[in-house]
Amino acid sequence: MKTIKKHPFIFIASLVVLLGITFFIAINTGTIKVSFIQLLKGLFVEYNKDVASVYQIRFPRVIVTMLVGCALALSGLLFQVVLKNPLADPGIIGISAGAQIVSLLVGIFLPELYTIKPILTCLGGLIAFFLIYSLSWKSGLKTTRIILVGVAIHYTITAMISFIESISSSISSSTSSVILYTWNDVQLLIIYILPILIILCFLTKACDLLVLEDRTLLSLGINVNLYRFMISLLAVLLCSVSVAIAGVLSFVGLLVPHLAHLFVGNKHSYLLPACGLLGAIILLMADTVGRVIIAPYEIAPAILMALIGGPLFIVLLKRSSMHES
Amino acid sequence: MKVKNLSFSYNQKPFIENLNIEFKENQITTIIGSNGSGKSTLLMLLSRLYKPQEGNIEIDVQNIWNYKIKDFAKKVAVVHQKNQIYGDQDVKTIVGYGRLPYLHYAQKLTQEDYEIIDWALEVTNLKEYQNRTLKSLSGGQQQRVWIAMALAQKTPYLLLDEPTTYLDIRYQLELLRLLKEINQKYKITIIMVLHDINQAIQYSDNIIAMKKGRIIVEGKAKEVITSEVIREVYRIDLKMTQLSKQPYVFTV
Repeated sequence: MKTIKKHPFIFIASLVVLLGITFFIAINTGTIKVSFIQLLKGLFVEYNKDVASVYQIRFPRVIVTMLVGCALALSGLLFQVVLKNPLADPGIIGISAGAQIVSLLVGIFLPELYTIKPILTCLGGLIAFFLIYSLSWKSGLKTTRIILVGVAIHYTITAMISFIESISSSISSSTSSVILYTWNDVQLLIIYILPILIILCFLTKACDLLVLEDRTLLSLGINVNLYRFMISLLAVLLCSVSVAIAGVLSFVGLLVPHLAHLFVGNKHSYLLPACGLLGAIILLMADTVGRVIIAPYEIAPAILMALIGGPLFIVLLKRSSMHES
Repeated sequence: MKVKNLSFSYNQKPFIENLNIEFKENQITTIIGSNGSGKSTLLMLLSRLYKPQEGNIEIDVQNIWNYKIKDFAKKVAVVHQKNQIYGDQDVKTIVGYGRLPYLHYAQKLTQEDYEIIDWALEVTNLKEYQNRTLKSLSGGQQQRVWIAMALAQKTPYLLLDEPTTYLDIRYQLELLRLLKEINQKYKITIIMVLHDINQAIQYSDNIIAMKKGRIIVEGKAKEVITSEVIREVYRIDLKMTQLSKQPYVFTV
Protein backbone atom coordinates (compact mmCIF):
# COMPACT_ATOMS: atom_id res chain seq x y z
CA MET A 1 0.00 0.00 0.00
CA LYS A 2 2.80 2.42 0.85
CA THR A 3 4.60 1.89 -2.43
CA ILE A 4 1.37 2.51 -4.32
CA LYS A 5 0.89 5.72 -2.40
CA LYS A 6 4.30 6.91 -3.49
CA HIS A 7 3.47 6.45 -7.16
CA PRO A 8 -0.15 7.48 -7.54
CA PHE A 9 0.37 8.29 -11.18
CA ILE A 10 1.36 4.72 -12.04
CA PHE A 11 -1.62 3.46 -10.06
CA ILE A 12 -3.99 5.66 -12.06
CA ALA A 13 -2.39 4.58 -15.33
CA SER A 14 -2.84 0.94 -14.38
CA LEU A 15 -6.47 1.64 -13.54
CA VAL A 16 -6.94 2.93 -17.08
CA VAL A 17 -5.46 -0.30 -18.44
CA LEU A 18 -7.60 -2.36 -16.08
CA LEU A 19 -10.69 -0.50 -17.20
CA GLY A 20 -9.78 -1.27 -20.84
CA ILE A 21 -9.42 -4.97 -20.04
CA THR A 22 -12.64 -5.07 -18.03
CA PHE A 23 -14.40 -3.30 -20.88
CA PHE A 24 -13.25 -5.88 -23.40
CA ILE A 25 -14.19 -8.79 -21.14
CA ALA A 26 -17.60 -7.25 -20.49
CA ILE A 27 -18.21 -6.76 -24.20
CA ASN A 28 -17.29 -10.38 -24.77
CA THR A 29 -19.33 -11.91 -22.00
CA GLY A 30 -22.57 -13.59 -22.98
CA THR A 31 -23.88 -15.93 -25.62
CA ILE A 32 -22.24 -14.16 -28.55
CA LYS A 33 -18.46 -14.13 -28.55
CA VAL A 34 -16.23 -11.97 -30.70
CA SER A 35 -12.46 -11.80 -30.71
CA PHE A 36 -10.65 -8.50 -30.40
CA ILE A 37 -9.71 -8.45 -34.09
CA GLN A 38 -13.21 -9.43 -35.15
CA LEU A 39 -14.53 -6.64 -33.02
CA LEU A 40 -12.27 -3.98 -34.52
CA LYS A 41 -12.98 -5.28 -38.03
CA GLY A 42 -16.74 -5.37 -37.42
CA LEU A 43 -16.77 -1.90 -35.98
CA PHE A 44 -14.65 -0.08 -38.47
CA VAL A 45 -14.18 -2.19 -41.62
CA GLU A 46 -16.99 -4.49 -42.64
CA TYR A 47 -20.44 -5.50 -41.38
CA ASN A 48 -20.51 -8.49 -39.07
CA LYS A 49 -23.79 -9.75 -37.64
CA ASP A 50 -22.35 -10.73 -34.26
CA VAL A 51 -20.45 -7.51 -33.84
CA ALA A 52 -23.52 -5.51 -34.83
CA SER A 53 -25.68 -7.07 -32.16
CA VAL A 54 -22.93 -6.69 -29.59
CA TYR A 55 -22.69 -3.06 -30.64
CA GLN A 56 -26.44 -2.49 -30.32
CA ILE A 57 -27.02 -4.30 -27.04
CA ARG A 58 -23.87 -4.79 -25.04
CA PHE A 59 -22.01 -1.59 -25.80
CA PRO A 60 -24.68 0.72 -24.41
CA ARG A 61 -25.05 -1.37 -21.30
CA VAL A 62 -21.34 -1.53 -20.65
CA ILE A 63 -20.78 2.16 -21.28
CA VAL A 64 -23.76 3.22 -19.16
CA THR A 65 -22.54 1.01 -16.32
CA MET A 66 -19.06 2.52 -16.49
CA LEU A 67 -20.30 6.09 -16.57
CA VAL A 68 -22.77 5.53 -13.75
CA GLY A 69 -20.12 3.83 -11.62
CA CYS A 70 -17.75 6.72 -12.22
CA ALA A 71 -20.39 9.38 -11.53
CA LEU A 72 -21.66 7.77 -8.33
CA ALA A 73 -18.18 7.19 -6.94
CA LEU A 74 -17.23 10.79 -7.60
CA SER A 75 -20.51 12.05 -6.21
CA GLY A 76 -19.85 10.14 -2.98
CA LEU A 77 -16.33 11.50 -2.73
CA LEU A 78 -17.47 15.08 -3.28
CA PHE A 79 -20.18 14.77 -0.63
CA GLN A 80 -17.61 13.42 1.80
CA VAL A 81 -15.37 16.38 1.06
CA VAL A 82 -18.09 19.01 1.31
CA LEU A 83 -19.81 17.62 4.38
CA LYS A 84 -16.51 16.57 6.02
CA ASN A 85 -18.07 13.27 6.80
CA PRO A 86 -16.82 9.84 5.77
CA LEU A 87 -20.39 8.53 5.88
CA ALA A 88 -21.79 10.94 3.35
CA ASP A 89 -23.01 8.86 0.45
CA PRO A 90 -25.75 10.17 -1.84
CA GLY A 91 -27.65 6.93 -1.26
CA ILE A 92 -27.51 7.25 2.53
CA ILE A 93 -28.31 10.94 2.92
CA GLY A 94 -31.34 10.98 0.67
CA ILE A 95 -30.02 12.72 -2.45
CA SER A 96 -30.58 9.64 -4.61
CA ALA A 97 -34.08 9.28 -3.18
CA GLY A 98 -34.86 12.90 -4.02
CA ALA A 99 -33.72 12.32 -7.58
CA GLN A 100 -35.51 8.99 -7.77
CA ILE A 101 -38.93 10.29 -6.80
CA VAL A 102 -38.78 12.91 -9.53
CA SER A 103 -37.56 10.33 -12.00
CA LEU A 104 -40.49 8.11 -11.05
CA LEU A 105 -43.05 10.90 -11.37
CA VAL A 106 -41.68 11.94 -14.75
CA GLY A 107 -41.82 8.31 -15.87
CA ILE A 108 -45.49 8.04 -14.88
CA PHE A 109 -46.89 11.42 -15.84
CA LEU A 110 -44.57 12.97 -18.39
CA PRO A 111 -42.80 10.17 -20.26
CA GLU A 112 -42.42 12.44 -23.31
CA LEU A 113 -39.90 14.54 -21.38
CA TYR A 114 -37.28 11.77 -21.58
CA THR A 115 -34.45 13.97 -22.89
CA ILE A 116 -34.69 16.50 -20.10
CA LYS A 117 -35.41 13.89 -17.45
CA PRO A 118 -31.86 14.21 -16.03
CA ILE A 119 -32.44 17.94 -15.51
CA LEU A 120 -35.70 17.30 -13.69
CA THR A 121 -34.19 14.60 -11.50
CA CYS A 122 -31.34 17.00 -10.70
CA LEU A 123 -33.98 19.35 -9.38
CA GLY A 124 -35.20 16.57 -7.10
CA GLY A 125 -31.67 15.90 -5.91
CA LEU A 126 -31.06 19.60 -5.32
CA ILE A 127 -34.23 20.00 -3.29
CA ALA A 128 -33.25 17.03 -1.13
CA PHE A 129 -29.77 18.48 -0.65
CA PHE A 130 -31.14 21.91 0.17
CA LEU A 131 -33.43 20.37 2.78
CA ILE A 132 -30.60 18.43 4.39
CA TYR A 133 -28.41 21.47 4.42
CA SER A 134 -30.87 23.94 5.81
CA LEU A 135 -32.21 21.52 8.40
CA SER A 136 -28.81 20.47 9.70
CA TRP A 137 -27.28 23.94 9.70
CA LYS A 138 -27.13 25.22 13.24
CA SER A 139 -24.31 27.72 13.56
CA GLY A 140 -22.10 25.59 11.38
CA LEU A 141 -22.19 22.10 10.00
CA LYS A 142 -22.53 19.37 12.56
CA THR A 143 -21.46 16.09 11.08
CA THR A 144 -23.77 13.82 13.01
CA ARG A 145 -26.71 16.14 12.39
CA ILE A 146 -26.21 15.95 8.65
CA ILE A 147 -26.27 12.18 8.65
CA LEU A 148 -29.30 12.05 10.94
CA VAL A 149 -31.26 14.59 8.91
CA GLY A 150 -30.11 12.93 5.68
CA VAL A 151 -31.19 9.48 6.78
CA ALA A 152 -34.56 10.84 7.91
CA ILE A 153 -35.09 12.50 4.54
CA HIS A 154 -33.99 9.33 2.79
CA TYR A 155 -36.58 7.23 4.60
CA THR A 156 -39.32 9.80 4.14
CA ILE A 157 -38.81 10.04 0.41
CA THR A 158 -38.34 6.29 0.02
CA ALA A 159 -41.68 5.77 1.76
CA MET A 160 -43.27 8.27 -0.61
CA ILE A 161 -41.79 6.35 -3.53
CA SER A 162 -43.18 3.02 -2.29
CA PHE A 163 -46.53 4.71 -1.82
CA ILE A 164 -46.59 6.09 -5.35
CA GLU A 165 -45.47 2.77 -6.75
CA SER A 166 -48.10 0.80 -4.91
CA ILE A 167 -50.95 3.02 -6.07
CA SER A 168 -49.73 3.47 -9.62
CA SER A 169 -48.78 -0.21 -10.03
CA SER A 170 -46.47 0.88 -12.80
CA ILE A 171 -43.13 -0.70 -13.42
CA SER A 172 -40.95 -0.27 -10.42
CA SER A 173 -38.06 2.10 -10.85
CA SER A 174 -36.52 1.32 -7.51
CA THR A 175 -34.85 -1.88 -8.62
CA SER A 176 -31.35 -0.98 -9.46
CA SER A 177 -30.62 -3.59 -12.07
CA VAL A 178 -28.86 -2.36 -15.16
CA ILE A 179 -30.79 -4.08 -17.88
CA LEU A 180 -31.63 -2.65 -21.25
CA TYR A 181 -29.93 0.45 -22.45
CA THR A 182 -29.77 2.06 -25.84
CA TRP A 183 -27.26 4.39 -27.38
CA ASN A 184 -29.69 7.17 -26.48
CA ASP A 185 -29.01 6.57 -22.82
CA VAL A 186 -25.28 6.63 -23.47
CA GLN A 187 -25.64 9.92 -25.31
CA LEU A 188 -27.69 11.48 -22.55
CA LEU A 189 -25.23 10.41 -19.88
CA ILE A 190 -22.26 11.72 -21.82
CA ILE A 191 -23.94 15.05 -22.50
CA TYR A 192 -24.61 15.58 -18.81
CA ILE A 193 -21.61 13.95 -17.18
CA LEU A 194 -18.71 14.99 -19.40
CA PRO A 195 -19.00 18.75 -18.72
CA ILE A 196 -19.15 18.02 -14.98
CA LEU A 197 -15.99 15.92 -15.17
CA ILE A 198 -14.21 18.73 -17.00
CA ILE A 199 -15.24 21.32 -14.41
CA LEU A 200 -14.09 18.94 -11.67
CA CYS A 201 -10.54 19.04 -13.05
CA PHE A 202 -10.42 22.69 -12.00
CA LEU A 203 -11.78 22.04 -8.54
CA THR A 204 -9.15 19.67 -7.18
CA LYS A 205 -7.52 22.48 -5.22
CA ALA A 206 -10.86 23.54 -3.71
CA CYS A 207 -11.37 19.94 -2.60
CA ASP A 208 -7.89 19.86 -1.08
CA LEU A 209 -8.59 23.00 0.93
CA LEU A 210 -11.92 21.82 2.30
CA VAL A 211 -10.07 19.46 4.65
CA LEU A 212 -9.55 22.54 6.82
CA GLU A 213 -12.25 23.82 9.13
CA ASP A 214 -14.52 26.54 7.81
CA ARG A 215 -13.36 29.13 10.31
CA THR A 216 -9.72 28.39 9.46
CA LEU A 217 -10.45 28.80 5.75
CA LEU A 218 -12.25 32.08 6.40
CA SER A 219 -9.24 33.35 8.32
CA LEU A 220 -7.09 32.40 5.34
CA GLY A 221 -9.21 34.57 3.07
CA ILE A 222 -11.00 31.70 1.34
CA ASN A 223 -14.62 32.04 0.33
CA VAL A 224 -15.66 28.67 1.77
CA ASN A 225 -19.31 28.98 0.90
CA LEU A 226 -18.61 29.48 -2.78
CA TYR A 227 -16.38 26.38 -2.86
CA ARG A 228 -18.89 24.37 -0.95
CA PHE A 229 -21.75 25.49 -3.16
CA MET A 230 -19.97 24.57 -6.38
CA ILE A 231 -18.78 21.18 -5.21
CA SER A 232 -22.15 20.26 -3.70
CA LEU A 233 -23.88 21.26 -6.90
CA LEU A 234 -21.62 19.01 -8.98
CA ALA A 235 -22.05 16.13 -6.53
CA VAL A 236 -25.84 16.42 -6.68
CA LEU A 237 -25.79 16.61 -10.47
CA LEU A 238 -23.57 13.54 -10.85
CA CYS A 239 -25.79 11.51 -8.57
CA SER A 240 -29.10 12.70 -10.03
CA VAL A 241 -28.09 12.10 -13.64
CA SER A 242 -27.09 8.54 -12.76
CA VAL A 243 -30.39 7.98 -11.01
CA ALA A 244 -32.29 9.35 -14.00
CA ILE A 245 -30.72 6.76 -16.28
CA ALA A 246 -29.90 3.78 -14.09
CA GLY A 247 -32.01 4.08 -10.94
CA VAL A 248 -30.65 4.02 -7.43
CA LEU A 249 -27.40 2.19 -6.78
CA SER A 250 -26.24 2.54 -3.23
CA PHE A 251 -22.86 1.71 -1.72
CA VAL A 252 -20.74 2.71 -4.75
CA GLY A 253 -20.48 6.23 -3.36
CA LEU A 254 -19.32 4.93 -0.01
CA LEU A 255 -17.10 2.00 -0.94
CA VAL A 256 -15.15 3.42 -3.85
CA PRO A 257 -13.98 6.77 -2.40
CA HIS A 258 -12.60 5.01 0.66
CA LEU A 259 -10.87 2.45 -1.51
CA ALA A 260 -9.34 5.20 -3.63
CA HIS A 261 -8.31 6.97 -0.46
CA LEU A 262 -6.42 3.93 0.75
CA PHE A 263 -4.53 3.68 -2.51
CA VAL A 264 -3.62 7.24 -3.40
CA GLY A 265 -3.94 9.27 -0.20
CA ASN A 266 -5.79 12.53 -0.05
CA LYS A 267 -4.47 14.73 -2.81
CA HIS A 268 -7.51 15.33 -4.93
CA SER A 269 -5.62 15.69 -8.18
CA TYR A 270 -4.96 11.94 -7.80
CA LEU A 271 -7.95 11.02 -5.70
CA LEU A 272 -10.61 12.26 -8.13
CA PRO A 273 -9.35 10.35 -11.21
CA ALA A 274 -8.58 7.24 -9.14
CA CYS A 275 -12.04 7.33 -7.60
CA GLY A 276 -13.83 7.82 -10.93
CA LEU A 277 -11.89 5.01 -12.61
CA LEU A 278 -12.32 2.61 -9.68
CA GLY A 279 -16.05 3.34 -9.66
CA ALA A 280 -16.32 2.50 -13.34
CA ILE A 281 -14.24 -0.68 -13.00
CA ILE A 282 -15.98 -2.01 -9.92
CA LEU A 283 -19.52 -1.45 -11.14
CA LEU A 284 -18.69 -2.89 -14.55
CA MET A 285 -17.12 -5.97 -12.94
CA ALA A 286 -20.15 -6.41 -10.71
CA ASP A 287 -22.48 -6.06 -13.68
CA THR A 288 -20.51 -8.49 -15.84
CA VAL A 289 -20.19 -11.15 -13.16
CA GLY A 290 -23.88 -10.68 -12.36
CA ARG A 291 -24.75 -11.42 -15.95
CA VAL A 292 -22.94 -14.76 -16.12
CA ILE A 293 -22.96 -16.21 -12.65
CA ILE A 294 -26.49 -17.66 -12.80
CA ALA A 295 -27.20 -17.16 -16.52
CA PRO A 296 -29.75 -16.93 -18.06
CA TYR A 297 -30.86 -15.02 -14.96
CA GLU A 298 -29.10 -11.90 -13.80
CA ILE A 299 -28.00 -10.57 -10.46
CA ALA A 300 -28.22 -6.78 -10.11
CA PRO A 301 -24.76 -5.22 -9.86
CA ALA A 302 -25.72 -3.43 -6.64
CA ILE A 303 -26.36 -6.77 -4.95
CA LEU A 304 -23.08 -8.33 -6.00
CA MET A 305 -21.17 -5.22 -5.15
CA ALA A 306 -22.59 -5.11 -1.66
CA LEU A 307 -22.01 -8.84 -1.19
CA ILE A 308 -18.32 -8.66 -2.05
CA GLY A 309 -17.68 -5.00 -1.33
CA GLY A 310 -19.15 -4.97 2.17
CA PRO A 311 -16.81 -7.51 3.75
CA LEU A 312 -13.88 -6.20 1.69
CA PHE A 313 -14.59 -2.72 2.94
CA ILE A 314 -14.54 -3.87 6.55
CA VAL A 315 -11.24 -5.71 6.06
CA LEU A 316 -9.68 -2.64 4.49
CA LEU A 317 -10.94 -0.37 7.25
CA LYS A 318 -9.51 -2.66 9.89
CA ARG A 319 -6.13 -2.58 8.22
CA SER A 320 -5.98 1.15 7.68
CA SER A 321 -5.56 3.73 10.38
CA MET A 322 -7.63 6.29 8.53
CA HIS A 323 -10.59 6.69 10.85
CA GLU A 324 -9.00 6.03 14.15
CA SER A 325 -8.95 9.49 15.66
CA MET B 1 -7.00 47.96 16.31
CA LYS B 2 -9.94 49.86 17.73
CA VAL B 3 -13.33 48.67 18.86
CA LYS B 4 -16.02 51.36 18.79
CA ASN B 5 -19.53 51.07 20.29
CA LEU B 6 -19.64 47.38 19.49
CA SER B 7 -22.88 45.48 20.11
CA PHE B 8 -23.55 41.85 19.42
CA SER B 9 -26.47 39.61 20.27
CA TYR B 10 -26.98 35.85 20.15
CA ASN B 11 -30.44 34.90 18.88
CA GLN B 12 -31.81 38.40 19.55
CA LYS B 13 -30.50 38.34 23.11
CA PRO B 14 -28.10 41.26 23.60
CA PHE B 15 -24.77 39.88 24.77
CA ILE B 16 -22.14 42.50 24.17
CA GLU B 17 -23.38 46.07 24.39
CA ASN B 18 -21.59 49.24 23.49
CA LEU B 19 -18.05 47.98 23.92
CA ASN B 20 -15.08 50.29 23.39
CA ILE B 21 -11.45 49.18 23.47
CA GLU B 22 -8.23 50.22 21.87
CA PHE B 23 -5.67 47.46 21.48
CA LYS B 24 -2.12 48.75 21.77
CA GLU B 25 0.01 48.11 18.70
CA ASN B 26 3.04 45.81 18.94
CA GLN B 27 2.01 44.58 22.37
CA ILE B 28 0.44 41.47 23.82
CA THR B 29 -3.06 41.99 25.15
CA THR B 30 -4.77 39.15 26.97
CA ILE B 31 -8.49 38.94 27.57
CA ILE B 32 -9.52 37.06 30.70
CA GLY B 33 -12.89 36.30 32.23
CA SER B 34 -15.07 33.50 33.51
CA ASN B 35 -16.86 31.07 31.22
CA GLY B 36 -19.53 32.86 29.24
CA SER B 37 -18.05 36.28 29.93
CA GLY B 38 -17.88 37.07 26.24
CA LYS B 39 -14.10 36.87 25.86
CA SER B 40 -14.17 34.28 23.08
CA THR B 41 -17.10 36.05 21.44
CA LEU B 42 -15.07 39.23 21.39
CA LEU B 43 -12.19 37.39 19.76
CA MET B 44 -14.57 35.95 17.15
CA LEU B 45 -15.82 39.46 16.44
CA LEU B 46 -12.26 40.74 16.08
CA SER B 47 -11.41 37.90 13.69
CA ARG B 48 -14.52 38.61 11.58
CA LEU B 49 -16.06 35.21 12.25
CA TYR B 50 -19.07 36.89 13.91
CA LYS B 51 -20.65 40.01 12.52
CA PRO B 52 -21.60 42.70 15.03
CA GLN B 53 -25.10 44.17 14.87
CA GLU B 54 -23.81 47.61 15.70
CA GLY B 55 -20.53 49.44 16.00
CA ASN B 56 -17.20 49.10 14.31
CA ILE B 57 -13.91 47.32 14.62
CA GLU B 58 -11.24 49.29 12.85
CA ILE B 59 -7.81 48.44 11.54
CA ASP B 60 -5.91 51.36 10.02
CA VAL B 61 -8.99 53.57 10.36
CA GLN B 62 -11.04 51.21 8.22
CA ASN B 63 -13.92 48.98 9.34
CA ILE B 64 -12.76 45.36 9.15
CA TRP B 65 -15.93 44.42 7.29
CA ASN B 66 -14.95 46.77 4.48
CA TYR B 67 -11.83 44.77 3.74
CA LYS B 68 -11.97 42.14 1.03
CA ILE B 69 -11.82 38.67 2.59
CA LYS B 70 -8.27 38.13 1.27
CA ASP B 71 -7.06 41.57 2.34
CA PHE B 72 -8.36 40.96 5.83
CA ALA B 73 -6.45 37.68 5.91
CA LYS B 74 -3.29 39.69 5.18
CA LYS B 75 -3.99 41.82 8.27
CA VAL B 76 -5.21 39.34 10.87
CA ALA B 77 -4.26 35.71 11.50
CA VAL B 78 -6.24 33.53 13.89
CA VAL B 79 -5.33 30.43 15.90
CA HIS B 80 -8.15 28.58 17.63
CA GLN B 81 -8.24 26.53 20.78
CA LYS B 82 -8.60 23.28 18.88
CA ASN B 83 -7.96 22.96 15.19
CA GLN B 84 -8.95 20.04 13.08
CA ILE B 85 -7.97 18.80 9.71
CA TYR B 86 -9.66 15.94 7.87
CA GLY B 87 -6.77 14.04 6.34
CA ASP B 88 -3.09 13.31 6.74
CA GLN B 89 -1.38 16.43 5.39
CA ASP B 90 2.22 17.03 6.33
CA VAL B 91 3.35 19.97 8.40
CA LYS B 92 4.91 21.87 5.53
CA THR B 93 1.71 21.71 3.46
CA ILE B 94 -0.36 23.03 6.33
CA VAL B 95 2.02 25.87 7.07
CA GLY B 96 1.93 26.59 3.32
CA TYR B 97 -1.82 27.23 3.57
CA GLY B 98 -0.81 30.41 5.38
CA ARG B 99 0.22 31.81 2.00
CA LEU B 100 -3.28 31.42 0.53
CA PRO B 101 -4.29 35.07 1.02
CA TYR B 102 -1.49 36.03 -1.36
CA LEU B 103 -2.33 33.58 -4.12
CA HIS B 104 -4.94 33.40 -6.85
CA TYR B 105 -6.95 30.22 -7.07
CA ALA B 106 -4.74 28.35 -9.50
CA GLN B 107 -1.46 29.99 -8.50
CA LYS B 108 1.39 27.86 -7.19
CA LEU B 109 3.67 28.80 -4.30
CA THR B 110 6.60 30.94 -5.39
CA GLN B 111 10.18 30.90 -4.18
CA GLU B 112 9.33 33.79 -1.87
CA ASP B 113 6.41 31.86 -0.39
CA TYR B 114 8.68 28.90 0.32
CA GLU B 115 11.15 31.18 2.06
CA ILE B 116 8.38 32.54 4.27
CA ILE B 117 7.16 29.00 5.04
CA ASP B 118 10.72 28.05 5.99
CA TRP B 119 10.96 31.09 8.20
CA ALA B 120 7.68 30.23 9.95
CA LEU B 121 8.87 26.65 10.52
CA GLU B 122 12.15 27.96 11.89
CA VAL B 123 10.54 30.39 14.31
CA THR B 124 8.21 27.74 15.68
CA ASN B 125 10.99 25.16 15.90
CA LEU B 126 9.30 22.76 13.53
CA LYS B 127 12.03 22.45 10.89
CA GLU B 128 12.76 18.81 11.73
CA TYR B 129 9.08 17.85 11.65
CA GLN B 130 8.20 19.52 8.37
CA ASN B 131 7.66 16.28 6.49
CA ARG B 132 5.78 14.51 9.27
CA THR B 133 2.00 14.36 9.19
CA LEU B 134 0.18 16.62 11.60
CA LYS B 135 -1.49 13.69 13.32
CA SER B 136 1.84 12.09 14.22
CA LEU B 137 2.82 15.10 16.33
CA SER B 138 2.09 15.81 19.99
CA GLY B 139 -0.60 18.30 21.02
CA GLY B 140 1.95 21.01 21.73
CA GLN B 141 3.66 20.53 18.42
CA GLN B 142 0.34 20.54 16.58
CA GLN B 143 -0.59 23.86 18.14
CA ARG B 144 2.79 25.21 16.99
CA VAL B 145 1.97 24.11 13.45
CA TRP B 146 -1.17 26.25 13.50
CA ILE B 147 0.82 29.16 14.85
CA ALA B 148 3.38 28.64 12.08
CA MET B 149 0.54 28.73 9.55
CA ALA B 150 -0.69 31.98 11.05
CA LEU B 151 2.86 33.40 10.93
CA ALA B 152 3.16 32.47 7.26
CA GLN B 153 0.21 34.79 6.68
CA LYS B 154 2.63 37.62 7.52
CA THR B 155 0.00 39.68 9.31
CA PRO B 156 0.54 42.58 11.71
CA TYR B 157 -2.07 41.04 14.06
CA LEU B 158 -2.23 37.56 15.56
CA LEU B 159 -5.33 36.48 17.49
CA LEU B 160 -5.39 33.34 19.63
CA ASP B 161 -8.36 31.79 21.38
CA GLU B 162 -7.21 29.86 24.47
CA PRO B 163 -4.21 28.43 22.62
CA THR B 164 -2.91 26.53 25.67
CA THR B 165 -6.10 24.83 26.86
CA TYR B 166 -5.33 21.32 25.72
CA LEU B 167 -1.61 21.38 26.52
CA ASP B 168 0.29 20.21 29.55
CA ILE B 169 2.22 22.74 31.61
CA ARG B 170 5.52 22.34 29.76
CA TYR B 171 3.92 22.90 26.35
CA GLN B 172 1.85 25.76 27.75
CA LEU B 173 4.95 27.65 28.81
CA GLU B 174 6.81 26.76 25.63
CA LEU B 175 3.95 28.19 23.60
CA LEU B 176 3.61 31.36 25.63
CA ARG B 177 7.37 31.98 25.41
CA LEU B 178 7.16 31.48 21.69
CA LEU B 179 4.37 34.05 21.46
CA LYS B 180 6.41 36.52 23.53
CA GLU B 181 9.34 36.00 21.19
CA ILE B 182 7.18 36.46 18.10
CA ASN B 183 5.79 39.65 19.56
CA GLN B 184 9.17 41.13 20.49
CA LYS B 185 11.23 40.04 17.51
CA TYR B 186 8.75 40.59 14.71
CA LYS B 187 6.60 43.34 16.22
CA ILE B 188 3.39 41.40 15.75
CA THR B 189 0.45 42.63 17.82
CA ILE B 190 -0.97 39.69 19.75
CA ILE B 191 -4.48 39.58 21.19
CA MET B 192 -5.41 36.38 22.98
CA VAL B 193 -7.77 34.76 25.42
CA LEU B 194 -6.21 32.85 28.32
CA HIS B 195 -7.65 30.98 31.28
CA ASP B 196 -4.66 31.09 33.58
CA ILE B 197 -4.49 34.45 35.37
CA ASN B 198 -0.82 34.11 36.35
CA GLN B 199 0.19 33.24 32.82
CA ALA B 200 -1.76 36.25 31.61
CA ILE B 201 0.11 38.50 34.06
CA GLN B 202 3.49 37.00 33.21
CA TYR B 203 3.28 36.96 29.45
CA SER B 204 1.19 39.95 28.43
CA ASP B 205 1.64 43.69 28.37
CA ASN B 206 -2.03 44.47 28.89
CA ILE B 207 -4.98 42.62 30.37
CA ILE B 208 -8.65 43.12 29.72
CA ALA B 209 -10.97 41.45 32.22
CA MET B 210 -14.53 40.76 31.06
CA LYS B 211 -17.77 39.71 32.67
CA LYS B 212 -21.20 39.30 31.07
CA GLY B 213 -20.14 41.02 27.88
CA ARG B 214 -18.73 44.06 29.65
CA ILE B 215 -15.19 45.11 30.41
CA ILE B 216 -14.52 45.20 34.15
CA VAL B 217 -10.97 46.54 34.01
CA GLU B 218 -8.27 47.06 31.47
CA GLY B 219 -4.70 48.19 31.83
CA LYS B 220 -1.10 47.11 32.31
CA ALA B 221 -0.83 43.42 33.11
CA LYS B 222 1.34 43.90 36.17
CA GLU B 223 -1.01 46.49 37.67
CA VAL B 224 -4.65 45.74 37.03
CA ILE B 225 -5.09 42.40 38.74
CA THR B 226 -6.17 42.77 42.37
CA SER B 227 -8.20 40.58 44.71
CA GLU B 228 -11.20 42.86 44.12
CA VAL B 229 -10.95 42.45 40.36
CA ILE B 230 -10.76 38.68 40.69
CA ARG B 231 -13.75 38.62 43.02
CA GLU B 232 -15.68 40.76 40.56
CA VAL B 233 -14.72 38.75 37.47
CA TYR B 234 -14.72 35.18 38.73
CA ARG B 235 -16.86 35.56 41.86
CA ILE B 236 -14.32 33.79 44.02
CA ASP B 237 -11.96 34.99 46.74
CA LEU B 238 -8.34 34.19 45.99
CA LYS B 239 -5.22 35.14 47.92
CA MET B 240 -2.61 37.22 46.18
CA THR B 241 1.02 38.00 46.81
CA GLN B 242 3.97 39.63 45.12
CA LEU B 243 6.43 37.30 43.46
CA SER B 244 9.54 38.67 41.72
CA LYS B 245 7.95 42.11 41.69
CA GLN B 246 4.70 41.14 40.08
CA PRO B 247 1.35 40.02 41.38
CA TYR B 248 0.76 36.31 41.84
CA VAL B 249 -2.63 34.73 42.38
CA PHE B 250 -3.00 31.53 44.40
CA THR B 251 -5.33 29.56 42.23
CA VAL B 252 -5.61 26.60 44.56
